[in-house]
This record gives sequence, C-alpha cells and structure tokens, in this order.
Amino acid sequence: MSDLMDFLRILFSHPFELIDIPVREIITEAVNWVVSTFRGFFRAYVSPPVRAVMETVQWVLQSIPPLAFLIGLFLIGWRAASWKVGLFAVIALAFVGFMGVWDAMIVTLSLVTTAVFFCILIGLPVGILCSRSDLFYTVVRPILDIMQTTPPFVYLVPAVMLFSIGNVPGLIATIIFAMPPVIRLTNLGIRQVHKDFMEAAIAFGSTPRQILWKVQFPLALPTIMAGINQTIMLSLSMVVIAAIIGAGGLGLEVYAGLERLNIGQAFVGGIAIVLLAMVLDRITQGLGEKAPGSRSSSE
Amino acid sequence: MVQQLTAPSGCGLRRKEEGPVNCQPSSLPLRITNDKRESGAEGKTVIRAEGVTKIFGPDPESVLPLVEQGKTKSEIQAQTGHVLGISNASFELRPGEVFCIMGLSGSGKSTLIRCINRLIEPTSGKIYLVDEQHGEREITGMDANELRELRKHDMSMVFQHFALFPHRTVLSNVIYGLEIQGRERKESERIGQEVLELVGLGQWSHSYPHELSGGMQQRVGLARGLATEAKVLLMDEPFSALDPLIKVNMQQELMRIQDELQRTILFITHDLDEAMRIGDHIAIMDDGEIVQIGTPEEILVNPRTEYVANFVEHADPTGVLTAGTIARPLGSTDFEWVGEADGLKLFARRGEPDIRFGIDPDGRLGKVYSGEQAIQLRDLHEVLERPDTEERPERRSDLALHCDEGTVLRDLLRGRSHATLPTIVTAADGRLRGIIDEPDLINGILEKRGQGETPEQYAGESRAETG
Repeated sequence: MSDLMDFLRILFSHPFELIDIPVREIITEAVNWVVSTFRGFFRAYVSPPVRAVMETVQWVLQSIPPLAFLIGLFLIGWRAASWKVGLFAVIALAFVGFMGVWDAMIVTLSLVTTAVFFCILIGLPVGILCSRSDLFYTVVRPILDIMQTTPPFVYLVPAVMLFSIGNVPGLIATIIFAMPPVIRLTNLGIRQVHKDFMEAAIAFGSTPRQILWKVQFPLALPTIMAGINQTIMLSLSMVVIAAIIGAGGLGLEVYAGLERLNIGQAFVGGIAIVLLAMVLDRITQGLGEKAPGSRSSSE
Repeated sequence: MVQQLTAPSGCGLRRKEEGPVNCQPSSLPLRITNDKRESGAEGKTVIRAEGVTKIFGPDPESVLPLVEQGKTKSEIQAQTGHVLGISNASFELRPGEVFCIMGLSGSGKSTLIRCINRLIEPTSGKIYLVDEQHGEREITGMDANELRELRKHDMSMVFQHFALFPHRTVLSNVIYGLEIQGRERKESERIGQEVLELVGLGQWSHSYPHELSGGMQQRVGLARGLATEAKVLLMDEPFSALDPLIKVNMQQELMRIQDELQRTILFITHDLDEAMRIGDHIAIMDDGEIVQIGTPEEILVNPRTEYVANFVEHADPTGVLTAGTIARPLGSTDFEWVGEADGLKLFARRGEPDIRFGIDPDGRLGKVYSGEQAIQLRDLHEVLERPDTEERPERRSDLALHCDEGTVLRDLLRGRSHATLPTIVTAADGRLRGIIDEPDLINGILEKRGQGETPEQYAGESRAETG
C-alpha cells in the first residue's frame, strides 16, 4: 500500500525520475562505434580528395600575384554583375591586404571554394533527385533539417574524432553544414518551373532527360544560384568556427585574437571576413541575375 | 522555300484556289454529327476521335457507366464527386482543314485538345491518326516511346500563353522541336530561319522572347509549331491572350500561312466570330459535350440547341452567310415566267415585270433585260476588285451583277453600292439559282436565315463537286 503511495507521490512531484532514457550514453556509444569502425575508411577515402582539392585551390590562389588577383577580380565582378561590383570587390580586398591579412584571406577563400565545390558536387544531383521523386524528398527533408539546425559546434567533435584536427575536418564540417541550401533550392527551382513550359516540352516529344537539361535546369538556374550564394555565406561562417579545430585562415585570426584577448587582431579578422563575404555575395548574385532562366521573371 | 514546309502527303495538291469565292466553307463536305459520322465521297480523315471521355477524380473508371447512361455533368458530380471533363466526343478532321472547337471556359475544350496528343489521358474512347506513310494508327494505344515519336514528327502544338522558353532566343525556340528530332544544327537553323520569315519575324531570330510583343511572341509560338513539319497542328486558344486588333491580324496571318502550307489544324477558341472566320468546321462544346458540329454557315443558320443559339445571336453573319443561302430561289412563287426572247426563257419578279432575266435551255444565265433593252452583266467579284472609278462608285441602274452561290454576305453588300438591280446567284455549274434583292440582304443580316432551302440541302450538291 505504501509502495503505491510512494509511486503516486513521485508521479506528481518528480515524474521524469520514473523513466531514464540514456540518450547521452547511446550517442557516445554510437559515435564511438562509428569512429572505431569507419575511421579507417574516412581517412583513406574521404580525406584525400578533400585535401587534394583544397591544396590545389590554395596553391593556385597563392601563386597568383596579389595585383594580378585584384585585376582578375575586377574583371570577374564586371562580367558577372557590373563594373561597380568589380570596383567594390577590388577596393574591399585591397583593404584586406592593407590590413595585413591577405595570406589568411587567401587560405579562407580556398577553404570556402573547396567546401562550395563539394557542396555543389553532391548537392546538385541530390537536389535534382529530390525534385523528381517525392518519396526521395520525403526521406531527404528531415536529414536536411537536422544538418541545418544542429548547432555548428556539434559537428566539430565527431569531425575531429574521425579526421583528427586540421583543415580537413574543418572542411568536412563546413560541407555538411553548408550543403542544404543547394539541395533545397535546386529541388525548389526545378519544381517551380511553370507547367506551361513543361507542357510545351512534352508536346514536342522531349524525353524526361531532355526536359531536365533543356528546360527545367536552365529555368531553375537563378534559384539554384541563390542556393549556391547561401551555401557560400554559410560555409564562410562555418570556416571561422572550424578554426577551433585547427582550420587556418581568417577564422584563426579571430579565434587567436579572442583567446589572447587581442581585440584588434580579432576585429581585423572579422572585418576581413565581412568584406570577403560581401564580395562573394555580390558576384554570385550578379551571376544568378544573369542566368538565362531569370528572364522568365519578366513575363 | 515552301516545298520543304509542305507536308509530303497529297495535301499540297489540294490547295485552295485563289480568290475570295473559294474561301467559302460551303465548298467543303458538311454534316458530321456527334452521334453519326457520314463517310462522305471524300472519306479522308487525318484525326478521328471516337467516344472520347475524360473523367477527373479518384476512380474515373467507375463513373463510365453513368456517362453511358447519358447522365449530365452536374448529376455525375452530385452522385459521385467526379468531374466529367469530356463526355463521349466524336469528330474527325479532314486533311488541310481548320477544325475549330468552340465553347465557354470549363466546357472541356482545352482538355479535349490535350487528349489528342495525350498530354491528358482520356478515360475511354479511341483516337486515330491516319496518314499515307503509316496508315491508321491508334494514338490511344501508343506506349511512351511511340507517343514521343508521334509528338516529334506528326503533331505539334501552339499554346494560349505562348509557352516560349525564356532562356532561348527566338530562333532557338523555333528549332526546339527539330532539336528534339535530332536534326543537324545547321539544317535546323536554316529551316528555323525560313519559318521565321514565313511568320514575318525574320529579323528577330536572335532576340529573346521577352523583347517581343504578345502578338510577335505568338508568331514565334506558331513558327515553333510549324517548324517540325508535323501534319497536324493543335492550337489551344492561341489568340485569346492578344488584343482584339492584333487578334484579327493574327487570324489573317494564320489563314495566309494555312493557304500556303495546308496543315490540318485543330483550333480551340471561346470566340464564335473567330471560329467562323477561320474554321472550315466548328464543333461547339457545352459542359463537356459536343452539342453541334457543322460548317460555320450551318451553325449560324441552324443552331441545334439553345446554347448554340445564344452564341449565334451575337455572331457577325456577314462573313459567313452565303448567297446560296439567302437567295430567293428561281423556283419559288415570287417569280413568274414572262415569255421568250433570243432563245432564252424570260422570268421576272411578281410585280416587277420590267426587269426580266433570261436563261438558256441548260438553265444558265443568258441576258438581263430592263424594258426592251439588254443590260450589262458583270461578275460581282470582278467589279469589287476592279471598280470603274477610284472614287465612290455610282449606283448604276443599267448594270446587273452576278455571283456564285458561295459569295459571302459582305461581298453582296459591297456589290450593292455599284448596282441597284438585284444580284443574280449562280451555282458552281453555272446554272441560275436565284436572285437577291435588298429585303433578302436585310433578312440575312437580321435573321441570319435564308430563303426557302436549308443549307443541308445544298450539301449534297456541293460535295459532288469537291469530291
């Protein structure tokens, strides 16, 4: 009788003490299992291509003389958007150089470029698959939600366990964190192609593949470019966080400045990141607006 | 240039002759009805639809028996929740004709045209395509591959909202179908440029669709439809989105191009005047059902249901009604025989013995007398095309005009400004049919009715000539 009374008392006062779900232990066990089972696989097959792309990009960017880099940047900005954007890009990055963090900026740029490269390489086909199969999208959607809403710091621990520290685990965490917009907006862009265009393509006897490449993809391109733009912004923000686990570049400037309470150094890194973000944003937005499919908006 | 655009089948040989007379639909086979098809002397079809039915809803098949029982759209909707899109539609398209399907929005006409190339799957019914190369093929029985081949080579489509690909240039839009056919780029571009010239947009090949006005965009849409050299062109309300003036302009353009290329066109519209202007045959749809099929004149003169009658009431008859329909026939009691002269039998209208018409033993028009004098006789169309003066014509009382029975009301009215005497109507074989006086013209405009004979009765005669 008193047992029942005890049970009811606890049920009313501390109900959560009745059942204990050991999530902490389960996750620890699971991560340990994954790490011990797949560490070899990841280090052998995932690290090398990521490292190779990153080192190539970095080598290319570092071997360009800064002046040539700025001139090239102006031309790219001019062609992609307008001469104003080109001029802005040159002034912004020259300022970064004059602040003394040019080399760090180049490292960050190559990290971002590599991350975005892999995001597009994986995200674009996945996005296309999502747009063509409702079932596939139903499966992918919660995964994307998890990828996007998990706090970026949470990625760092398993990344370090799998890949140790350095640029590569930072990049892997960045790729996972920054990929969802490419997938989501590729899917959205293709699904949004107006029924009229699809009907016209079908009425002329196009195969599904022809419809995809001749009609859907070009018309979805502005939306896809918006996704790539977001991916660039996300990877730029993640690259800073990744400095905690040993990624270099501007993130390291900020992180090191904070650690030593050197406010000036941290701010220089921060300003350089903001300027780089603005430059990349303006250029990719210009590309999106110039994409051929964006003409549909004028109709 | 025209050669490669013309369908290789015998269509080119069946070109309409020049001149306004032959634009008249009355020279085409008549009387195809929803329930009973008449295989006329000509008998040739390009598209044949038999009992096409489309039901929208979760279980369309289950509703079919109700459709067969003849339940209406609203009854079926109340009973089962399914929407009857098309109910048992049957019709056929002859080679080289423009067949209009006309109805209000929601009447199922856009669904019907999409069933023809199976952008929408019909729930039941059969659709056939007939050509010389492949004989008769059942479109409704084709698999995905055959269907793609059909859409690539045999049928193309023009859309209400143009549906031009915004990321492609005008030329690149026009050659889309050729690209899908797998043609060589250079050849495609050459054909594309030719078709663009044909629709009057040769200069615009490298522009983008958004740089063009609505009318020009639809010309591109038309060019895209023509470029594949498909025998059948499906046009889904192609001019509905255009301004009224541009719309009329485009209709004329279409007729000009059609005269040149002789494709078989299925044309959807909600505008009866448009259907009457360009259609050789018109099918009128109401609530998913084809309620009447006929030539424009048949529908104008004999609307079969109240729904059709309501449309017809506001239609412009001047381009549709023909002299044969409104003429007061020679055999009617309005005329009396008044003697013989120069080997011709003379007759005159009762009460007007002064004006006498003489016909020879074969029934052909010989001379016309005013008093004792034979007066000048001229062909109506010749007078309209080559008037005596540039200025406002004088209405002569010493000139009699004659025309054939296919002449439209509009031309008859214009003829009245040249002569005061009644217009004489002859059949295609030259025999005199009757005469048209002012009251007949007024009656034609206001009542949209002819005198005496109904057009059905002409049909037998005119078919014999076209056959």
